[in-house]
Amino acid sequence: MALLKVPTPPVQWRCNVPPTTLAFPNSRSISAGRGKGREWNWRVKCSSSSSGAEIEKGAGNFGPGSPVRATNVLVVGATGTLGRQIVRRALDEGYDVRCLVRPRPAPADFLRDWGATVVNADLSKPETIPATLVGIHTVIDCATGRPEEPIKTVDWEGKVALIQCAKAMGIQKYVFYSIHNCDKHPEVPLMEIKYCTEKFLRDSGLNHIVIRLCGFMQGLIGQYAVPILEEKSVWGTDAPTRIAYMDTQDIARLTFITIRNEKLNGKLLTFAGPRAWTTQEVITLCERLAGQDANVTTVPVSILRFTRQLTRFFEWTSDVADRLAFSEVLSSDTVFSVPMAETYSLLGVESKDIVTLEKYLQDYFTNILKKLKDLKAQSKQTDIYF
Amino acid sequence: MNTSASIPFSRMKGFMFFNDVLPRKSRLVLAPRAADPNAGKDSNVSDDEVQKQQRVMQQPPVSLSLDDVNPVGLGRRSRQLFDEVWRKFSGLGQISRTIRSDDQEALDALLVREGPMCEFAIPGAQNTTVLVVGATSRIGRIVVRKLMLRGYAVKALVRRADQEVVDLLPRSVEIVIGDVGDPTTVKAAVEGCNKIICCATARSAITGDLFRVDHRGVYNLTKAFQDHNNKLAQSRAGKSSKSKLLIAKFKSASSLHGWEVRQGTYFQDVLATKYDGGMDAKFEFTENEDAVFSGYVFNRGGYVELSKKLSLPLGYTLDRYEGLVLSVGGNGRSYLLILEAGPSADPSQSRLYFARISTKVGFCRVRVPFSLFRPVKPDDPVLDPFLVHTLTIRFEPRRQKPVEVNATTKQDLRSFKLILEYIKALPTGQETDFVLVSCSGQGIEPSRREQVLKAKRAGEDSLRRSGLGYTIVRPGPLQEEPGGQRALIFDQGNRISQGISCADVADICVKALHDTTARNKSFDVCYEYIAEDGRELYELVAHLPDKANNYLTPALSVLEKNT
Repeated sequence: MALLKVPTPPVQWRCNVPPTTLAFPNSRSISAGRGKGREWNWRVKCSSSSSGAEIEKGAGNFGPGSPVRATNVLVVGATGTLGRQIVRRALDEGYDVRCLVRPRPAPADFLRDWGATVVNADLSKPETIPATLVGIHTVIDCATGRPEEPIKTVDWEGKVALIQCAKAMGIQKYVFYSIHNCDKHPEVPLMEIKYCTEKFLRDSGLNHIVIRLCGFMQGLIGQYAVPILEEKSVWGTDAPTRIAYMDTQDIARLTFITIRNEKLNGKLLTFAGPRAWTTQEVITLCERLAGQDANVTTVPVSILRFTRQLTRFFEWTSDVADRLAFSEVLSSDTVFSVPMAETYSLLGVESKDIVTLEKYLQDYFTNILKKLKDLKAQSKQTDIYF
Repeated sequence: MNTSASIPFSRMKGFMFFNDVLPRKSRLVLAPRAADPNAGKDSNVSDDEVQKQQRVMQQPPVSLSLDDVNPVGLGRRSRQLFDEVWRKFSGLGQISRTIRSDDQEALDALLVREGPMCEFAIPGAQNTTVLVVGATSRIGRIVVRKLMLRGYAVKALVRRADQEVVDLLPRSVEIVIGDVGDPTTVKAAVEGCNKIICCATARSAITGDLFRVDHRGVYNLTKAFQDHNNKLAQSRAGKSSKSKLLIAKFKSASSLHGWEVRQGTYFQDVLATKYDGGMDAKFEFTENEDAVFSGYVFNRGGYVELSKKLSLPLGYTLDRYEGLVLSVGGNGRSYLLILEAGPSADPSQSRLYFARISTKVGFCRVRVPFSLFRPVKPDDPVLDPFLVHTLTIRFEPRRQKPVEVNATTKQDLRSFKLILEYIKALPTGQETDFVLVSCSGQGIEPSRREQVLKAKRAGEDSLRRSGLGYTIVRPGPLQEEPGGQRALIFDQGNRISQGISCADVADICVKALHDTTARNKSFDVCYEYIAEDGRELYELVAHLPDKANNYLTPALSVLEKNT
């Protein structure tokens, strides 16, 4: 696994303030922090052995005497399952939110509708990053490469570039989401990358918080709840692995409590849901709440493992193998959960405010079943008219 | 790269297994590469391409008509099937998953955008249009975002719609260009709005600016909003439920008709009557076109009163109103308002209810909610506005406080003068129509504080008399920090001393829109603090804004209405 041998590149950064002013190539982001006293023009240079990216950008408004407001946050990966909840929570709490999204044909309109600012950049193109960081106090990084793309581009090279830029541009806090137990499963590339990124972040000297997560409840809906209601086949494994799923809205809420707590700087926190569930238990719960039996297809973990082993033999299927790597974790009876009592008391949160999976899925099914009823009632009405 | 040899093997494992799963037990056959319509396509190492090259033929087990064996159609269908199965299969072995875009769309609608599962969203908010005045202000910006997150339709009144402003506001906010100081633009802005949140403030402390924005601006908004409500009501052939009901207007000599001046004493005291100077009162229309009720009461325990049997327009009853507003002037005495209620057919069953009102020297408007009226006989039931048939204004020398206007002139508290302009009934309603962000006066430069507060208070007053359901929020000095972190104190009476974050003020504004306890209340709000010695007697209500609890209702329910 070549990936594991990626050395942690040393971060080198320096900045100096030249007497001459530079032309700003990107006026859009400069304008975000305009009108605050003197404008210092920085010349930032950062390089790393892995990306080799040479960034030369002017940036205004974070020189001495004009502090960046603590309410200016940049959310990386804002269109994702967690990212969008982070954006919503941040906007509601009164933060000015900037979202870093990849340029795409269908832009992330919903972010703009909520009142966030959207800037286009791509972590795999390091030259696009610095402009998005101007005037930003806190970077919240909840980006992860899509499963279909090579895992290294965004999750490692992109993140390294982002962290280096953040360091060079004086970002005051960097929040990184990692995966629980990522240090224990180096055989899974994504977890290994997350673990390496944690280390890299620590070594970078940035003021940071690492939050390790277990699983999202939102993901279960598409995976189990929807197919059960549509009477399609549901795929599950017989893995004994237990995951403490958590509502992303709760994660977002706890995240901002964490960010505001200065005592937690540099700490590693793990957020887990109230209870750890196996796949089978989740399916049973869904069946009970939906009031119908699921057409369950249980895939033995051994088949998943076998497929992975098989795909690893060939160079051209190594991506597939990487993606199936989680099956290695599944085959062990790992529990993705941690006792949260200490974290709750640290953050001043009560455990009753954290949504349980039962409650979450129950809400979902009641709402959906009610909607279906309404639809049926409507269609009956129209029947009469016709 | 000999792909065709290796793939079938790697897939074969899967197929044997899929065979059991597919709803229809169909025989799966590997298509030879030659039969693949896209066979000429360059093979790629990526997995998607590999999948594409794989064709799984699906053959119906029994009937074989020629239409069914169209190889392209079959190939396409089987590939879809295979993709689906592979997607699910590979999904099991991954940490993160991609949901297909069409699924994503449906899920988003429920989980993130408008569904009940999504945080912040308020059911039915789509049908409410909120006009945010001062949408680019520190509070306004957050108010707009909060409204968007909750699913409201939002209109924003801004003075200039240049790029900077447009970038500041969410994309789907309807932008109206105008100035609160200009009634015509305000009229256009309130068009189609159900509620108004006003967090505009003058940009300078110049008196002219203050007057234009903080005073006239609020007046223009309330007026335009009431006009709009009336227009809507007229189109439904009715009267707006938000407009006031005129009970009496004293603008001509004839309007005094029906008002009766009476006098009486609370007790008969033979000895006292002997030495008393008597009492007198008259109600007249003066040359200055004022309706003046004046006189004196030198008797101990005596009183004079002005009374009228109410005659409401056909179809109107006072139970749709929640109080009275009187526009009066005079020398600042206090009076008793007495309502007589009971079945009109049988006057003997009438019950009396009273409320004390105090006036100022010069003109003022006095709001008296019906809830303030107490029965004269303590055992009587609470006032039912539906049954009210007579209104009485009574003056008595008891419990008068000297007015501090001119300490040198000696006031005789037994004489009075009350100039009446109008008496109206205030419409009732469940929710607030207009949320106004005013200020507590803390943190303003002392030299300008008087002017700023004067303009703000004048604006508040014009909102209070408009008849609209109002909520007036007077925050302490604003701080730009995230909201929801610290407990808030809600209070009435200028006692607060702390600052508050803009986001918390915005949250209060948005919560107040649908909170019945917020209707017709004015209150100060600031961060929690430890009361100084000697002042801790006041009951200040502190609440922590949080996800789970609605802090506003309990905080406001203890505060007084219509202050």
